[in-house]
Amino acid sequence: MVEKLKNYIGGEWVDSSATEYTPVVNPATCEVIAEVPDSPAADVDAAVSAAKEAFWEWRTTPVLSRAQYMYRLKALLEERFEEISRTIVEENGKTIDEARGEARRGIESVDFAMAVPSLMQGYKTEDISSGIDETAERQPLGVFAAITPFNFPMMVPLWFLPTAITTGNTFLVKPSPQTPLSMQLLYELLDELDLPEGVVNLVHGGIPASTAVMEHPDVVGVSFVGSSAVAKIVYETCAKHGKRVQAQGGAKNYIAVMPDANMEASIVNILGSAYGCAGQRCLAGSVVVAVGDAYDKLQEELKDRAAKLRVGMGLEETTQMGTVISESARERIEGMIEEGLKEGAELVLDGRGVKVEGFEKGSFVGPTILGGVKKDMTVAQEEIFGPVLSMIKVDSFDEAVEVINNSRYGNAASIFTSNGRYAREFKYRVQAGNIGINIGVAAAQASFPFGGQKDSFFGDLHGQGPDSIDFYTDRKVLIERWY
Amino acid sequence: MASLNTFGSIMTYAIELEARLHNYYHQAGNLDRAKIADKNRSKLERVRRENVTEIKLEPIDGLDEANYDFDLSDTSAEGQQRVESMAARFYADVAPKMNVREAERMLNRVGKQHAQFAEE
Repeated sequence: MVEKLKNYIGGEWVDSSATEYTPVVNPATCEVIAEVPDSPAADVDAAVSAAKEAFWEWRTTPVLSRAQYMYRLKALLEERFEEISRTIVEENGKTIDEARGEARRGIESVDFAMAVPSLMQGYKTEDISSGIDETAERQPLGVFAAITPFNFPMMVPLWFLPTAITTGNTFLVKPSPQTPLSMQLLYELLDELDLPEGVVNLVHGGIPASTAVMEHPDVVGVSFVGSSAVAKIVYETCAKHGKRVQAQGGAKNYIAVMPDANMEASIVNILGSAYGCAGQRCLAGSVVVAVGDAYDKLQEELKDRAAKLRVGMGLEETTQMGTVISESARERIEGMIEEGLKEGAELVLDGRGVKVEGFEKGSFVGPTILGGVKKDMTVAQEEIFGPVLSMIKVDSFDEAVEVINNSRYGNAASIFTSNGRYAREFKYRVQAGNIGINIGVAAAQASFPFGGQKDSFFGDLHGQGPDSIDFYTDRKVLIERWY
Repeated sequence: MASLNTFGSIMTYAIELEARLHNYYHQAGNLDRAKIADKNRSKLERVRRENVTEIKLEPIDGLDEANYDFDLSDTSAEGQQRVESMAARFYADVAPKMNVREAERMLNRVGKQHAQFAEE
């Protein structure tokens, strides 16, 4: 009998009032490892009510005391680090190294939140007119929520929750129903902190719970990470209901490679970018745009190296690429490979139909390379979210920039070159929120905002970094004169 | 035998090696060395936990557990010397393959200690 997950509301684990439960499947074994409730609006309402009730007491708790909870949370995360990492692997299918990396990046966001006592300071100017002083101070706003995706089930919620609560807000997480176990574990740790009841809440579920979060009148803001189609709906719905919103969407990340690039280093980086997390990250390199002579050498080397990557069960230390999230994801990815071939792409390396000994039911797709891709093909334009690398050949740097800027997405783009002028021009002209120069995965560290442009981001204040302080606080202005 | 082809597989092999050496020196009655091995295990676990950098996880080539054949049944002085030489070789081989400076530094440091013990 697998565990039926509970919600965490008002400082207690409570049964959902859901009538439907969805199986949580380990994508490497296809075994059901838990059942997650499809919580209805009533459960969200209970969580928001608890968070609203907790807000004033929490908001008036000194910021230094609020920050202390983050020190204790960090200690617990370090203590349970391996367990967290293994949980991520079991529900998501990525490799244990990738899961450890995810857990580490989550902890970095907790580290960032420890600095909130400094980061949320206001500012003051004396004598803006004779005898009149003006101050801007930051204040928390109330109940915030996060709706988070399957691909980084621990890291993404930690982008938001620590900063939100340390700045004095109360919080609700609605994780992906495909990967709820990491949040279950995080909330066990949060429960150990003895935070005031209602400061942090967890409601499992799918669309009904998400809709209830977005439409709830007492939720002041929503952080979202997911596909672009849903991010746009989240942005519009939250705006309609008068909320702050930061909605990070999908991506199609291009990697330009100049003939002057350090090829050995570039190839290793591109492999990590395209096939890390089985291509299921919004910063995954998806299209190589090779300039001139770079194309042939790159394609040949990438094919050789990618073919050698060890695909397998993520908990085995020697596995270099794990599963995709589900059978339906595998079918969708393989369908997109097929579509690319129909549109005229060349199958350089075929990852379809990969079987892993001992895990024959696993949702594996091997490293795949499509060559001779043209800029308007579906595989060059649409997010595949799997281990599929498309290769485009162009004649010049300018053409590479044109191909990249032709995309409707703008999450990340990288260039590999040893020429500083190309690097600067790339950074200057390419329309993407995260730029890598000789870096395959341009992932912002916790103290920097996670960029995103065009259809990859809806909102104005990004997740992480100083933007997150702005998002979770309001600036109140005080103008004073004393007689 | 498995390939040492990832950051985690190398660090985990090193951690397990130090745990095996801890038991080995206990059996040999060399409690000082047993204590050092346990301390090394703990340091390496910390480095694996704190320094795994997701954006720099890249495949590693050319290393295999099969290249390091530790005979932990021979607890004689000569046997201990051979074990330490093998450990020193392992660390010298793997440290330059790591693209994370803290990990490389710790593997080098532990390797130097083993090299020193091999010469004693």
